[in-house]
Amino acid sequence: MALGIRVPGPGRIDQHGHTRVHPVTPLIHAVSTIPVIIVTLIALSGPLVSAFGDWPLVGIIAATLVGCSAVAALSWRHRSYWFDEDGDFRMDSGILRRQQRRLQLSRLQSIDVVQPLAARLFSMAAVTLEVAGGSDSRVQLRYLPLVEARELRIAVLARAGGLDHAAGEAPEDVIAFVPPGQLALSLLLRTSTAGLVVLTALTLFGTVFTEGWGGIPLAIVTGGVPAFLIATEFMKYFNFTVAESPDGLRLRFGLVQTQTRTVPAGRVQAVSLVEPLLWRRQGWVRVQLNVAGVDTGNDKGEETILTPVSDRVTAARLIERVLPGVDLDDLIWCMAPPRARWRSPVQWGQLAVAWTDVVFAARAGRITRHRAYILHARTQSVRLTNGPWERALGLASVHVDSTKGPVRISGLRLDSEFAAQVAQEQADRARTARARDTGVGPAGPQVPDSPHGND
Amino acid sequence: MASPHAAFTSSDTWNSVSPRLISARRITLGLTFILVAAGVAVLLILPEVPRAVGWSVAGVAVIAFAWLWWLIGRRVRSYGYAERDDDLLVRSGILVRRLVIVPYGRMQLVDVTAGPIDRMLGVTTVQLHTAAATTDATIPGLEPMIAAALRDRLARRGEMRGAGL
Repeated sequence: MALGIRVPGPGRIDQHGHTRVHPVTPLIHAVSTIPVIIVTLIALSGPLVSAFGDWPLVGIIAATLVGCSAVAALSWRHRSYWFDEDGDFRMDSGILRRQQRRLQLSRLQSIDVVQPLAARLFSMAAVTLEVAGGSDSRVQLRYLPLVEARELRIAVLARAGGLDHAAGEAPEDVIAFVPPGQLALSLLLRTSTAGLVVLTALTLFGTVFTEGWGGIPLAIVTGGVPAFLIATEFMKYFNFTVAESPDGLRLRFGLVQTQTRTVPAGRVQAVSLVEPLLWRRQGWVRVQLNVAGVDTGNDKGEETILTPVSDRVTAARLIERVLPGVDLDDLIWCMAPPRARWRSPVQWGQLAVAWTDVVFAARAGRITRHRAYILHARTQSVRLTNGPWERALGLASVHVDSTKGPVRISGLRLDSEFAAQVAQEQADRARTARARDTGVGPAGPQVPDSPHGND
Repeated sequence: MASPHAAFTSSDTWNSVSPRLISARRITLGLTFILVAAGVAVLLILPEVPRAVGWSVAGVAVIAFAWLWWLIGRRVRSYGYAERDDDLLVRSGILVRRLVIVPYGRMQLVDVTAGPIDRMLGVTTVQLHTAAATTDATIPGLEPMIAAALRDRLARRGEMRGAGL
């Protein structure tokens, strides 16, 4: 995890007894900008030297360095965090404009320990806390010694769970691990990358065969894009490990940047299983999640993956953890009628919906199969759509809306009478399931905690 | 073929929206058309542009205008909502028909908005939000009094049945 440069950290406690981040922080920020600075200096050295002359330029650089260091040191001095009397997390920051953030830990969504490359040089880590709420509900602490970051994480989780912070780290139990070989192969066998690789091979073959070399640039593009995608995803999901702990499933992954994410079981809204064509022989699936409160705005998919690739048995075991009491094989699929082939000529044979008394499911896709599941109690709204082409065939589609995320639950091209019935019944099922759901959220007095809750 | 929405239309009492929404939307369309007409006039005046091009653009614009004019009437009449015991139904659309069922317990907030033209004609839009971004429950063209009353009713029912996420 660490490359072992250890730095002493004096002055970590300020006059109020609040803790500061490690004083090496500005240095880490500086180290992570070194490549940019070097590139800039090399690119602009000619014009800069001719504009200022050698010695003035050195002076300017030195002055900039001193200025930046002063700002960084001040910023470090003025940033501190602590737990307040109510047991909530607070952070002060800002030099001129002081800012104080208070995170109500009972609303904690996730706490991640991340190690960017520059931080790993110094055995440091960043801690990201996120609570339910608006877009500005995230606090990042950069940087703490790795050990301390882990301890903070444990303390926060224990407080969020209402335990005493001395309760110690929840024991964890590894339930799934993706070997690098499997990850690499699975990325290669994804429909889009496999298609591009085949296209590249064909282009190269054609180019060599006809001895016209015009195809080479095209082959570089069609071959380069998947190579880049595979490399990025491989580094991101390297050594993907899922461990179970009392506070939820803990995901740990990453080659250059190690990430730890916790998926609180009760906050999973919907799950989807994705099976590209070339994965089916191995029986592999990818599992994605919609998690309440996780904003997938900028890094899409990253925070919402349960496993990048797993065999079906492991995937089923993982899904059992996030959707307790759901048996995914115990579903009776109601297929779209054969006339749906005129609207969806490729995937019509796969289109279907199914439901039990806890979960609603929809599947689609022939080349890449998608199966999506949502708990009735997590249904936000139900939509029925009916386009002109569908209407001509007597078809309609049902959509069950979930919170923001990659999972979409749509029963496409069903018989229109049946679709209307499914929509109506799903709304009813959602209501009854909610009435007996006492799991998460601000369960008000209107939620009856009925003794016969499992009927 | 029977519309799938028939299953809902039969038993529930559907409210339609105010016909004044037609005027509001047609005014907006008219204002847009004035801009388009100005553009077409420029085309016709410029000597570099062949006459045929100018007139065909003008023809297309007029046909589009007439079609949209007619479409607005039908679209507005297609809007409808029904308040049931446990959920709200909103239907819309002619070409692609949509029906949304929003359980009261899932509503997070209710927006009431009115633009300048809407205010002039006395129509208001009520929009329901759930935690799902895909929920598309918008009821345009309500009279302000009805909109406010609907908002209050929805808010009250949402509070009574709220169930968190």
